[in-house]
Amino acid sequence: MSVEEVTKKFEETVSVDDATATPKTVLSDSAHFDVKHPLNTKWTLWYTKPAVDKSESWSDLLRPVTSFQTVEEFWAIIQNIPEPHELPLKSDYHVFRNDVRPEWEDEANAKGGKWSFQLRGKGADIDELWLRTLLAVIGETIDEDDSQINGVVLSIRKGGNKFALWTKSEDKEPLLRIGGKFKQVLKLTDDGHLEFFPHSSANGRHPQPSITL
Amino acid sequence: MKYTIDELFQLKPSVALEVNFDAVEFRAIIEKVKQLQQLKEEEFGTHHAGHFSRRRSSHHHGRPKVKHNKPKVTTDSDGWCTFEAKKKGSGDEDEEEGETTPTANVPAVTIAQETLKVKPNNKNISSNRPADARDIVADKPILGFNAFAALESEDEDDEA
Repeated sequence: MSVEEVTKKFEETVSVDDATATPKTVLSDSAHFDVKHPLNTKWTLWYTKPAVDKSESWSDLLRPVTSFQTVEEFWAIIQNIPEPHELPLKSDYHVFRNDVRPEWEDEANAKGGKWSFQLRGKGADIDELWLRTLLAVIGETIDEDDSQINGVVLSIRKGGNKFALWTKSEDKEPLLRIGGKFKQVLKLTDDGHLEFFPHSSANGRHPQPSITL
Repeated sequence: MKYTIDELFQLKPSVALEVNFDAVEFRAIIEKVKQLQQLKEEEFGTHHAGHFSRRRSSHHHGRPKVKHNKPKVTTDSDGWCTFEAKKKGSGDEDEEEGETTPTANVPAVTIAQETLKVKPNNKNISSNRPADARDIVADKPILGFNAFAALESEDEDDEA
């Protein structure tokens, strides 16, 4: 789809009081625009701060940073927060739909799981892959049915940074479609494997993936 | 509504827009955590330096330290220094003795029908250069031109 088509699609969805006046969008004036491109839902950015004190609990460390509902707001946030490579070890970025908390215990997550991929080695550009993942999630192109994705998590770890796509259910059929798209977004070759872990198995010591792709 | 990755890139504003949270404070928190982590790492390194330094790195610290005992030298009231040799019975001394055994003294060892000549490794036997400089003069063949001798011989030739 071309830029013009996106704008047309936008103009159809946004009502403008004065039909004769053309609203300024980011496409016509990328610095001074009046209207923004809406997203399907509101998304919230969360950040897990690494523990620097033993007294800090998980609930102290996980905090919502901000929410966004338009493409322009999303870009504004991305331009103002540290890129993944700037984050300290044991940090997590979470972007979750509406008010879903990035926790297994949340009602929306309880019956679901996560597609997980660990990026080993230093060659890959984590910033680029994280941005591509976010764009695929908020643009809703990673899930054709708009029914499965709850959020996405990036974990900065010493042994290899982890990407996880959190889903509402463990239904194999839609999960396989999403997993295939996720592989494309992460630019994985045949050697790269995605693993699906149901949240129900997350309490175990050595959780085994229920699907490998 | 769906947007592809490319479409979303095209919708990226050219300037950084304002956000509805304190981005400066957020960055400051992250920076502080990074500094604390670095401090902790340094502290850990200092505390555990003794423990970790027990094992020698093969590529970071160059050659290992080998401790050599200093030779004992005594200086008398006139200022003369005397080197005190090692006491007999030390392992080192035995080794030295073995190394300096001359080839001539090596006995032939007979095993069954075959005779084996034990040849010591004379690589480390001290230099065969004579210690006395006069010996060098005596042994040295005189190849230099002697003017008086030459004159004498010419005379002999003439007479003949």
